[in-house]
This record gives sequence, structure tokens and C-alpha cells, in this order.
Amino acid sequence: MPLNSPRHAAAPAGTRPATGAAPGPLPAAHTAPHGAPLPAAHTAPHPAPHPAPRQPLLRVEGLHKGFSVDGETIRVLHECSFAVGRGEVVAIVGQSGSGKSTLLNLLGLLDEADGGTHVFDGVDVTGLREHRRARLRGDRIGFVFQQFHLLERRTAVANVCVPMVLGGVPLLRRRAVARELLESVGLGHRLGSKPHQLSGGEQQRVALARALSRDPALILADEPTGALDAESSELIMNQLLRQASDRGAAVIVVTHDPAVAARADRSITIVEGYTRDG
Amino acid sequence: MLRSLVSGFILAAAGSRANVTRTILSCAGITIGVGALILIVTGGDVGERFAKSFAESNAGVAATYTVDVYDESGGTLEDLDALEADLRRAGAQAVSINSMSEAQMRIGEEEVEHAYTTVVDAELGDIRRITLASGRWFDDSDTHSLAPVMVVNEGLAKQIGGDGRLQVGIEGQWKTVRVVGVVEDSAMDGGSASAYLLRAPASAPLVFPDGAVPSTGTGFSVRADPEGADADAYRERLVTSASRWSSFDEDSISAYRIDPGDEINTVLTYLSLGLGGIALITLSTGMLGVLNVGLVTVRERRRELATYRALGATSFGLFIIVVTEAVVVSVVAGVVALLFCYTAVGIGGALVADYLPSDVGVYVPAQAVLVGLGSAALAGLLAGVIPAWRALRTSVVSGLRE
Repeated sequence: MPLNSPRHAAAPAGTRPATGAAPGPLPAAHTAPHGAPLPAAHTAPHPAPHPAPRQPLLRVEGLHKGFSVDGETIRVLHECSFAVGRGEVVAIVGQSGSGKSTLLNLLGLLDEADGGTHVFDGVDVTGLREHRRARLRGDRIGFVFQQFHLLERRTAVANVCVPMVLGGVPLLRRRAVARELLESVGLGHRLGSKPHQLSGGEQQRVALARALSRDPALILADEPTGALDAESSELIMNQLLRQASDRGAAVIVVTHDPAVAARADRSITIVEGYTRDG
Repeated sequence: MLRSLVSGFILAAAGSRANVTRTILSCAGITIGVGALILIVTGGDVGERFAKSFAESNAGVAATYTVDVYDESGGTLEDLDALEADLRRAGAQAVSINSMSEAQMRIGEEEVEHAYTTVVDAELGDIRRITLASGRWFDDSDTHSLAPVMVVNEGLAKQIGGDGRLQVGIEGQWKTVRVVGVVEDSAMDGGSASAYLLRAPASAPLVFPDGAVPSTGTGFSVRADPEGADADAYRERLVTSASRWSSFDEDSISAYRIDPGDEINTVLTYLSLGLGGIALITLSTGMLGVLNVGLVTVRERRRELATYRALGATSFGLFIIVVTEAVVVSVVAGVVALLFCYTAVGIGGALVADYLPSDVGVYVPAQAVLVGLGSAALAGLLAGVIPAWRALRTSVVSGLRE
């Protein structure tokens, strides 16, 4: 599905530009390490037009994964092959148990495939050692989970700070970034609140702010709106799409919700462990 | 690695602050164990210093021999100066006569009852620990004094009072004494009045009533080099030269070591080892508590730890987070124990202060602090390793599904 599809046109104004131009290589600022000034998207009120031709950020070929149950291997994913470009929004859809989350875990380097090729950001991550995968995960990938996975006893700011702590961002810098991100998702007044003091929508916004804190090249969202009402879902999706359009991040959303899938550039359907476009 | 280490410490500190209840629960066992360890080290230290003080005050510093040269079977001591020269030549570093005097004491017209007088030389100050409550110990000028010179104990000083006049004498021949110092009562005094009488020309008739040389012999305190101190060898050397100064047979000469410091230290060492063992068992129990809480919380926190990993924590970083949390908990427990011990030792010290020599203070020594906090950190480290290992074994995906 091209970027100038009606699905994008249907998005609220200011959240996703309906341009026909395919995005090109990310500007240098998008990959600048932390310690540099705050990303423009965190402060600019209006997104800049999306630049030039899209380049693949992620490519998988023949990826497969199985699990051993009672000594028997059950293959969940068979020969998955696709590519995702920078700035592209892709929805992964399929029935429950079709292997969507397993695929997302592989793409997020949370799990290892049994075989196939997986190239992320120019690095062949197949067989990469655990600490390199962790580093890559922390530095280049942002996660938004259906169940939020916020640290229960930490404040919103502290939760957003965690990836930056792990990334070695200095204290004052990470505080400033966390505050700004939370303000950008409308939680500037809940900085000191702990997860149990927040609504589901607010918690997901904190999780989103956390996912964006390292300015990731890839955002993986597993049913990000599954536990939210329509208004909160809209807000979360707008933020994700904005991150793709403004920051050139690739966004992969696993969803059951046709409305969410409709807002992506394209969909990948998983049927019984096989991927197919559309 | 540095990044993992730093982030591990930061997140562990934040985690410990956030999980106050868990932290406090984990603390209890460690606090008791570390407290016991600190008190044992403190008790051992006080005991050792008390034993040393007691031994050095009442017997002598290491190594002190008592040398008795005494013959009731007809032999005579002929040359006291030659004997004392041989005592030094045989290996003594300091020599003092140490002989009970038959002299009696009176204050005004009233005789001091149950008092005893020990005749000594100023050199006894180099052999025994003399702890003065006031005044000074004997010096060379006192040997020229026209009056007998004494250092009395606190019991006797009290009886003398502010302007009382102490006299010493034998068979009604009284001499007024010049008291130059007061020593603290020692456990050996048993509450009695006692005094050191300096051997000098002015006190000679009181020391050896029969003449310049005690023909039947006398006793000495001798300090020898503690390295290789051997009382038997020392006695043998005296025996070989005994004919120069006496007609005593060799059975009349004895020398034996009397400073009990080594023996007391040995007893204290065994006692400390025994009590230390009990403390270590307590500490181990506390450590098992931390380990148990750590394992339970790792189980409970699988999702949290998996979240850390999903957000970029390396295995090493996660290991540091979990281990550091256990160490932080244990060190906090150690600090709490230390504060309790400071309070307990302060109160205990105030209660027993009157029964201890003034130079034996009751306080928590530096080594107790080091042992306490060090063992707390070690216990935390050991207790944290297994939960950390368990945390690493859990897959990120299954952790997130919890």
C-alpha cells in the first residue's frame, strides 16, 4: 500500500502527511547518538515533509521458528520473507496463534530464529551474540506492548528513563528528554505518577514515550491499542504514525483491529505461519 | 561493560528504593548476623585489650619472668650486686626487685589494716604497665630522697585522705613516707590497701631488716625479649653463675614466665572463633533469607527483569542489577546493625566503665566495622548470584508473557 493511500488521507491532520514521495535515507539527526540536542520531533509543533526514496531498514528471508513441546517440535513460523523500509508503517495481522507475536519477537531480537536471514539496519543479526543483540535492541528498537510492561513502582519519568539509563545517557539529559516526551504525549501533568495511578491509555502513552526515548529506527508495537478505548487508541496510533513520518522510524504494528491496520502503509498477513502481503 | 555496570548500579539503587518492603524484609536476618559479628569482634577486641592491660598491670609485659633466689636450707646469698648483674647478663632487658616487705603502715596513730607493701625498683615501670590515677611513678631522683618514697594504690590513697600523713615502719620504728603517685586499683588488689616502696638508702632498713643483703634470698621481676623468651634457659644461665654470689644449691633458683597475655589471647582467640562461628551461622541464615527473598522476587519480577532486557539490558547488566540489589540490601542491613551495635556498645560501655581500667575503652573498633560491612556485602554478593543466574536463565519472551 503506497503512502498516499486513502488510509493515510483518513488520518487526522498533522499526524501523518499524505505525501506521495517515498521516504529516503534518514537525516543525520535521526541517527545521532544521545547527548546531541533533543530530536526535532520532540519539540517541533509541525512535522516536516517526508523526504526522498525509502531504504530498507529490515529484511527477513526464509525466517522460521519452532518450539519444542513434549519433545516434539511445533513450527510456528514458516519461511517468512519481507522487507520494511525506513519511515514505513506496516501492520501484521492474522488470527490468534498464527505466529504474529513470535514474528514480532524475532524482529525485536527478543528471540532467535531457527533459520533464515534477518538483516536489521545493515547488520545481519542472525546468530548475533546476546549482548550485541541487547545493545542493538536498546539503541535502535522501541517496544510498545499490549500490557504496557511499565515498572510498577517507578514514576512515569523513571519508566521513560530506563532505556536511557541502559544506554548510558547522562542524568540531566535523560530527565529532560523524559519530561519532554511525556509532555508530547499529553502527560506533562503526570510526571511523578506511578503506573497504578494512571489509566490504561495513560500507561500506554508512558510506554510509548519510553519506546521513543532512544529515538529508535524501528518501533515494534504488539497490539498497542488492544486494551484501550477508541480515544486512547487514536492518540497512540497518531503518535506512532507521527514518529514514522517525522523521524523516519519504521513502525511495525501487530493488531487484530482492522481500523489500526487500515492506517498502516501496508499489511502483512500471517496465515498458519506463512507471511503474505495484504 | 562499563555502561552495563553503571546502568546496573543505577537501576539497582532505584529498585532498592522502590521496593522498600522487600528491602526491609531481607534486612532482618543479615542485620542480626552482622550485628552478632560486630559485637563479637568488639567483645574480642575489648577482651583482648582488657586481658593485655590486666596482665601487664598485674604481672608484666611480655615477656616477664619471676625469679626467686631463696634458700632456707643453709645456703647464703653473699653478693646481691653480683646477682643483679648476672640477672642482666643472662638476658634481662629490665630488672626490679619484687619482694614483699614486712613493714607496716600507719596514718597518724592508726595502723592500716590488711595492707601490704611491695619493695620495687623504679625499673618496675619498664616491666609492668603502671596506670597512674595521679602523681607519677618513681624516678632516679627518688633514690636520693631522705624519706622512703612510695606509690600507693587508690584504696590506700583514700584512707590517707587530703592531708593525712603516711608512715611506714618495723617494730615501732616509724618513718614518714613521701607519696609521689597513686596507681589505679588493679584486680589483684582485691580492694585492699597496697603500696610500692622504692628500694633506696632511705628505705633500706625496711627492705632488708637484717642488713644490706637478704641472706636467705629474695625475688625479682625480670623483663626479657618476648621473641624466643625461654625461662628455663634463663634459669640455667643463672644457675651456672650462682657460685659467684651465693652458696645456694641449684634448686634454690627458679625462674618462670608469669605474663599471661599469650595464654589469655589464646583463650580469647578460641572464644572468638567459637562465637564467630555462631555469628557466621546466623549470618548464613540471614544470607539464606536474602537468597530466598531474592529468588522469590526474581520469580515475582520475571516480567520486570524481562522488561529490562527488552529495553536493552545485557545479561551482564541484568546480573549486575540483581546482584547489586542484594548487595545494597545487605549493606543497608549491615549499616542498621552497625548503628544498633554502636548504641548497644555505648550503653554497655557506660555500665562496665567502673570495672575496667581507664586505659581500656569500650568502643566499636574499626576492624569490627570492616568485618561487619564486609561480611554484609559478601553475604549480599553470594545471596545475589543465584537469583541473578536464575534471572538470566529466564527467556525474555516468557518473562514478558508472565
